Amino acid sequence: MSMTLEAYKELEAVVGERNISNKPWVLAGNRARTPEYPFEYHSPDAIILPGCTEEVQEIVRICNRHRICFVVTVSGASVDAYANRGDTVLIDLRRMNRIVEINEEDRYAVIEPGVRHVQLYPELRKKGFTYVTAAVGPGGSVLANYTSTSGDNHNQHGASRANRYLLGVEMVTPEGEILRTGSLQTGSGWFCPDGPGPGLRGLIKGFFGSHGQMGIITRAAIALNPCKGPREIRTEGHSPHQHIYLDSECSKVRVFNYKSLDDVREAMLRIGEAEIGSTVMKFFYLTLAVMMTDSANEFHKLWPRIRRELPMPLVVHLATESPEEMAYEEGILNDIVEETGGVRIAPDLENWWNEHMDFFMVVSVLQRTLRLGGGWMPIKLGADSVSHIVEVGKSISEFIYDYTDTGKIFDAPENFQIVPMEYGHFAHIELLFMYDRTDPNSGKNVAEFRKTSRYTDLKHHYHAETLGCLNETTELLGPLYCNYHLWMRALKNAFDPENLANPILKE
Amino acid sequence: MEKLSNYKYTMDQCNHCGQCKWIHPSGMHGWDYSEICPIFHEYGFDACSGQGLINIAKEIMNGTLQYGDGLEKMIYSCTACGACDINCKSVRDMEVLDCILALREDCAVNGTLPEAITERKKNIGESHNIYGLPHSDRWNWIPKDCGEDPNSDTVLFLGCAVSYRQRETALAAMKLLRAGGVSFRLLREEEWCCGGILWRNGQTDAAEKVIRRNMDLLHGQGVRTLITACGECFGFFRGAYPKFGAVSFRVRHISEVAAELLEKGKLAFHKLDIDGPVTYHDPCLLGRLSEEYVPWKGTIHSYGLHEPEKVWRRGEYGVYDAPRMLLRSIPGLELREMPRNCENAFCCGAHAKDADQEFALKTAAERRREAKSTGAGCVITACPFCEEALSEPGENALPCVELTRLLADALEGGEE
Ligand SMILES: Cc1cc2nc3c(=O)[nH]c(=O)nc-3n(C[C@H](O)[C@H](O)[C@H](O)COP(=O)(O)OP(=O)(O)OC[C@H]3O[C@@H](n4cnc5c(N)ncnc54)[C@H](O)[C@@H]3O)c2cc1C
Ligand code: SF4
Ligand code: SF4
Repeated sequence: MSMTLEAYKELEAVVGERNISNKPWVLAGNRARTPEYPFEYHSPDAIILPGCTEEVQEIVRICNRHRICFVVTVSGASVDAYANRGDTVLIDLRRMNRIVEINEEDRYAVIEPGVRHVQLYPELRKKGFTYVTAAVGPGGSVLANYTSTSGDNHNQHGASRANRYLLGVEMVTPEGEILRTGSLQTGSGWFCPDGPGPGLRGLIKGFFGSHGQMGIITRAAIALNPCKGPREIRTEGHSPHQHIYLDSECSKVRVFNYKSLDDVREAMLRIGEAEIGSTVMKFFYLTLAVMMTDSANEFHKLWPRIRRELPMPLVVHLATESPEEMAYEEGILNDIVEETGGVRIAPDLENWWNEHMDFFMVVSVLQRTLRLGGGWMPIKLGADSVSHIVEVGKSISEFIYDYTDTGKIFDAPENFQIVPMEYGHFAHIELLFMYDRTDPNSGKNVAEFRKTSRYTDLKHHYHAETLGCLNETTELLGPLYCNYHLWMRALKNAFDPENLANPILKE
Repeated sequence: MEKLSNYKYTMDQCNHCGQCKWIHPSGMHGWDYSEICPIFHEYGFDACSGQGLINIAKEIMNGTLQYGDGLEKMIYSCTACGACDINCKSVRDMEVLDCILALREDCAVNGTLPEAITERKKNIGESHNIYGLPHSDRWNWIPKDCGEDPNSDTVLFLGCAVSYRQRETALAAMKLLRAGGVSFRLLREEEWCCGGILWRNGQTDAAEKVIRRNMDLLHGQGVRTLITACGECFGFFRGAYPKFGAVSFRVRHISEVAAELLEKGKLAFHKLDIDGPVTYHDPCLLGRLSEEYVPWKGTIHSYGLHEPEKVWRRGEYGVYDAPRMLLRSIPGLELREMPRNCENAFCCGAHAKDADQEFALKTAAERRREAKSTGAGCVITACPFCEEALSEPGENALPCVELTRLLADALEGGEE
């Protein structure tokens, strides 16, 4: 540990002995190293659990005084929530877990960072609301998903990315000032992100989320959507075979197989134009097979069939207010699918989706994808028009076979998803690849594959890789996006001259 | 027996996804009562959770972390309740609890165990029970006319807690079996501690001796069915014994037997003098951890392929329904579910007591808070350890009643 005792004692005075530790075994809980982690591995010097905004502010000021870096964590499900260099304190926001307000009239919820999906979702549903949820699973921070990571979700065809739903925000800047955005700053409440008052959503969130490089968000308001399903969630069965039931008359899943990405694009655009469906996605076929099975062994049995029968599945979830509306949406969907060359998949496979889509939509089971030994990596994650993103999808075949055919990654070249947003106004792409964690070369292979994918995008001038926080990727991609990286760096320098808040790193 | 390196695959697989800390989404109900790990709930650091203990185990195995600085206390404050294990297994193929138990095994050799845990081992070695009380007290109170049939191939195994501290439960179990016409016998002086607690504490050599001795005895006597009214003994017989050799007898909890008798019309219950609704606390070893252990030895290939195929204990077939069915069959008794129930049940904290009494009491109080939130006036459970923990004085007090005794009281037309 290189943090001075003086600094530790100052931090301890803020949160109390119970809420800070530098014991090696406590630090061990947050320093697991995984091969996909692109940075040099470090242990935090201490972990601190503040209980309120003022404590966060005090911690940040102490870090500034002592030149200690800080990284925020909530669930730590993302690889960025770890110490990425020495002299770092990990600020774990789990104690700040209040749902401050659910405003039914103006349809927003104000939450602290420690509120998890498994906590907020049912509270909102009881009141007839829902919100766009990441597939991270029950313990993911809702706030972090909205403010600090991509916020992509499987419902975004009929909704959007989480960043579109971010309203008033309270944050502690990297130097320890409290900043309130939008209507919040002028005392007008949480309802508006961009005024009256400073519209700083872009600065705080950007397109992807700053991973805490611009400061620590302590409270945020998110806009809510009305919930079309029942308020009470009915569940039957025991783990791992639980079922959550939505209203089946008003909730149906159809899965179609397509032969070409061009046809998929056509179907997506037309479904969007018709403004039907709550979810539309060209889903990952490998992921689909893992989700449908209860163990890795069962996956390996099912996979040859899925690979053969479902190379390009288009999953459509229709969720309506009434059976009549359902009949209307179904009719239109059938016409579009027929005209675009889609074929409905085998009933036994589609039934799985009908039985589990509710589950998937509610809080997701995507963690199951980690079941194949834990080695996974989602890349690209960018967004642009549906047509542009389909072109990106096609370009994957230019480089992926070098990796799948040589066993460097799992042999599933079509394992990418394209999810349109806002009824087809734009779309998101995610290439999810699995690698073998038991292979000592996996770290190297993962890095190489990511790089190849990135350079293919650069070659084609594709907007495919996500505009992440400040790192080497940003420098590479910046010119493709109006040199946004120069702005970002200038802002970072202005707000965090010492580079202490989740510091910029070389990969 | 269980080396840490046996769990390297589990250690390497963990992605810090957090499912081991939070209620399964299918059981979500609101903001409160959504955490499932008692140590995470209390201490808040990730290290204090199934995921954290896996990380710690990995660092101990790799030699980058040493015992001391309170680590042993945390390892044994973990109640080994398995909520992390079952929730992780709802999405993953990992052995979280077994990895924690392997860490304990390592700790028992290379660390410094909490005194009370060392004491338990000594007690079992010297007097065959966890309390260090005279062995004769285990059976010398059993009435002569308890209705046992010395030739029966069904044994009613009482266990330490029931034999020494909750004899009423033993008598109630005998009453139920008699009423249902089930022939049974008792082991009396031949009954020793089941040894499960030694196994759970990582004192594997001592556990093995007791378990092998018990298996030899039961196999030698041609026992075909073992019934117990103790959730802990039940879970250990099913989950731990097969690790030491093939078990040829069937293990049943009294609630399963009673539920079957009820279904066959051999038992009936009358109304009880209980005001208001009740709630039921699922004991960990009767519920999510009671599935039979099927030994597995093999190779884990790339991408998780287990060869030969492994039978996973994911908690699906725990004893959840029998106690509920019995309670619902008592006329006028209204059963209300706690938000965290069945495989998501929050542990009563009983087994943290030997490492950290204060934490154990807080954990029980948290479970009582949840029980009270249902509006129930009393909490029913089916394990003497849970009963003892939930009955401790402290915050959120509410009466706790043991299921077997409740059923015996409600027996229609039964003997006095
Ligand atoms: C299986 C799986 C599926 C996922 N699916 C999705 C998905 O569908 N969509 C999606 O968008 N993401 C997804 N993620 C990524 C990510 O985990 C989620 O976005 C998640 O909601 C973020 O919350 P967390 O608690 O995991 O945050 P953490 O992992 O703890 O933190 C994430 C990042 O945000 C920073 N941060 C956290 N809180 C704050 C704060 N209050 N202020 C400033 N910075 C902060 C952290 O420093 C870190 O850089 C997935 C992850 C996994 C493991
Ligand atoms: S132990 Fe399992 S559930 Fe917990 S974080 Fe690791 S993988 Fe996720
Ligand atoms: S066994 Fe129970 S107390 Fe121990 S880590 Fe798992 S959930 Fe927590």
